[in-house]
Amino acid sequence: MTSDPVLVVEDLTMHYATRAGPVRAVDGVSFSVERGQSLGLVGESGCGKSSIAMTLLKLLPDNARLVSGSITLNGVDVVPLSENQMREHRWDRISMVFQAAMNSLDPVYRVGDQIIEALEAHSASAPRDAMERVRELFDLVSLDPSYIRRYPHEYSGGMRQRAIIAMALACEPDIIVADEPTTALDVIVQDHILREMQAIQRALNMSMIYISHDMAVIAEVCDVVGVMYAGKLVEFGPTAEVYARPIHPYTKALMSAFPSVRGEKHDLATLPGEPPDLLDPPSGCAFHPRCAYATDECRTSIPPTAKHGDQWATCWNPVADVDSE
Amino acid sequence: MAKYLLKRSAQILVTLFVFLTLVFFIVNAQPGDVSNFYALNPDVPPETRERLQDLFGVNEPLWKQYLVHIRNTFTGNFGVSFSHYPRSVADVIMERLPRTVVLFMTATALSFYLGFALGKVLAWRRGGWFEYTSTVGGVTLYTVFTPWFGLMMIWLFAFKAGWLPIGKFLDPVLWREAPIDANTVFNQMILTAFVVSIVVFAVFVITGQRRMGNARITRIASIVLASLAVVGVWFSSGTAVYAWDIVRHMVLPVVTLTLISFAGTMLLTRNSMLETMREDFVMAARAKGLTERAVRDKHVARNALLPVVTSFIFSLAFAVDGGVITESIFSWPGMGQTLVSATLTEDLPLAVGAFVFVGIFVLVAHLVADILYAYLDPRIRY
Ligand SMILES: Nc1ncnc2c1ncn2[C@@H]1O[C@H](COP(=O)(O)OP(=O)(O)O)[C@@H](O)[C@H]1O
Ligand SMILES: [Mg+2]
Repeated sequence: MTSDPVLVVEDLTMHYATRAGPVRAVDGVSFSVERGQSLGLVGESGCGKSSIAMTLLKLLPDNARLVSGSITLNGVDVVPLSENQMREHRWDRISMVFQAAMNSLDPVYRVGDQIIEALEAHSASAPRDAMERVRELFDLVSLDPSYIRRYPHEYSGGMRQRAIIAMALACEPDIIVADEPTTALDVIVQDHILREMQAIQRALNMSMIYISHDMAVIAEVCDVVGVMYAGKLVEFGPTAEVYARPIHPYTKALMSAFPSVRGEKHDLATLPGEPPDLLDPPSGCAFHPRCAYATDECRTSIPPTAKHGDQWATCWNPVADVDSE
Repeated sequence: MAKYLLKRSAQILVTLFVFLTLVFFIVNAQPGDVSNFYALNPDVPPETRERLQDLFGVNEPLWKQYLVHIRNTFTGNFGVSFSHYPRSVADVIMERLPRTVVLFMTATALSFYLGFALGKVLAWRRGGWFEYTSTVGGVTLYTVFTPWFGLMMIWLFAFKAGWLPIGKFLDPVLWREAPIDANTVFNQMILTAFVVSIVVFAVFVITGQRRMGNARITRIASIVLASLAVVGVWFSSGTAVYAWDIVRHMVLPVVTLTLISFAGTMLLTRNSMLETMREDFVMAARAKGLTERAVRDKHVARNALLPVVTSFIFSLAFAVDGGVITESIFSWPGMGQTLVSATLTEDLPLAVGAFVFVGIFVLVAHLVADILYAYLDPRIRY
């Protein structure tokens, strides 16, 4: 793949200031997304996936502190931008499908008007053109155009999700961040929407960051995958390779903890314990208390990020060591 | 919707019926009866007393009197006021009701507008001197002893500064040679206000629907034009000076009422805003790249408005019984004063009539509240 990165994130660190001290929700994360590529971020809940998503749009709560790092969107580092400058990038360049997508529509406005609102915030197009665009978008996500003038409560869960996707596509952004977009839906609708999102993303040659706790979903949708643990990216690489040969013990544990959608039977080796409290993460490698391969080194010092073929991993004792450099 | 309105109207009739029954029996539970007002005078000979009691029908069985009471109410016949003899009760109420309604509606509307505007800003900019002063100031005014505050306002602005009249509905000296009576002028003022608000409301609805780029300009222009038209019409009719006199008499009570009540709305709005701000669609609105102002006004405030509107309508409903205290302090001849004096002078027909009117107004206000709510919240459909 030729290198044409839409988004480059380098050494991103974001903390939440709390009374008990800083919560290290995003801790030195680096990755990049090429044009037309879809990146999956996977990890148990509480690992900082949503925090990364919100940081990318700089939509952070008052107690969040962007400690360091850069977010280069189409060649522009958005970290130093003011709120006013950032506003122009939001939705126009980077849009988002929220984790709580079901409630992302304002109940008192018609769905079509809410999409037009996004269009008008970024271009001074005539009302008639905006309406035309909404019709196109409804068509794209297979929604009946008669629903343009309806209110969110008249939509079913799946339809609402489609409307949200249509809204995210409205300004033809370079990249869409989808944070667990289908988690709240039933499996069949989830599968439909997943496939459609993938088709649209390919057709429009758009980039996407797809966040999920479900390895199987990521395997379906993403070209590249990043595995998150305790605010850090612990493994990164092309989906096929990561799945064929997980390097980090956490990736391996995650893979065996989730059954595949394709119905292949894994023996569900459960992952004992829970992700650490990010207020006070374990010393050394944060995963060591739950890791079957942990050594003294893991307990005391933070492992370096090393290249393993096309993959990167942050581990002292990789489970599959491929031409480590 | 039509079916719902029908159903609600039926409900209102039933409630009104229960209300009328209650009023009748409470009044009749008192010792003596209506005729006592005339008949207890020792100078009245026994035969005249008999005739009077027959005339009032108080010797009839209670159920017959009750039926007559119900029939009279539904035919709009409330009898004759004792204390305003020979004026009919309906006539007295028709004079007093508009004064109270206008005074208290204006004050309630202003207080909600102010409370909502302040509450909105308060929720958005938490902390800092603005939140501190408006909360402390608002709550102080909210909890202050009303008569004391009213008198202080009169003392300060009417007595010391002399900017405004001290009380009453109008200045008798000015009106002595007036070619027109105060009720006519006042009714014309109400009509004007009504027409203007309909026009401005229509402009707001129309500009709101077609998201026109110059909606703001159109709105401001409509308000300015309407005001100019009003001034023009009043001055050309030559009665503007009398209308102005009534307006001047309204200012002090309206300002006082607004000041003592806006804090309730302010805090309600603030809490409602803070709750709405946690909703996911607010985050989504931000993500869309809307300005903070658009997020606040179009999304947060619009949703936070719903509980505030409910409280507004219920306050309006109680505007008719016209705070007795306020009306007494400002010598405002409205329903509150009418009720008090009717009770003190044992003017039973007037008291009953006033109660019935207040009841009807409250019932209608509830219906209006439901309709308005359905208009504001698309999730509610009847
Ligand atoms: N506003 C906040 N203040 C303090 N801690 C927060 C805040 N938001 C999230 N967190 C904490 O940050 C961590 C990461 O959360 P999140 O990004 O939502 O994870 P994920 O999306 O992977 O489940 C969690 O431990 C969560 O409790
Ligand atoms: Mg999350």
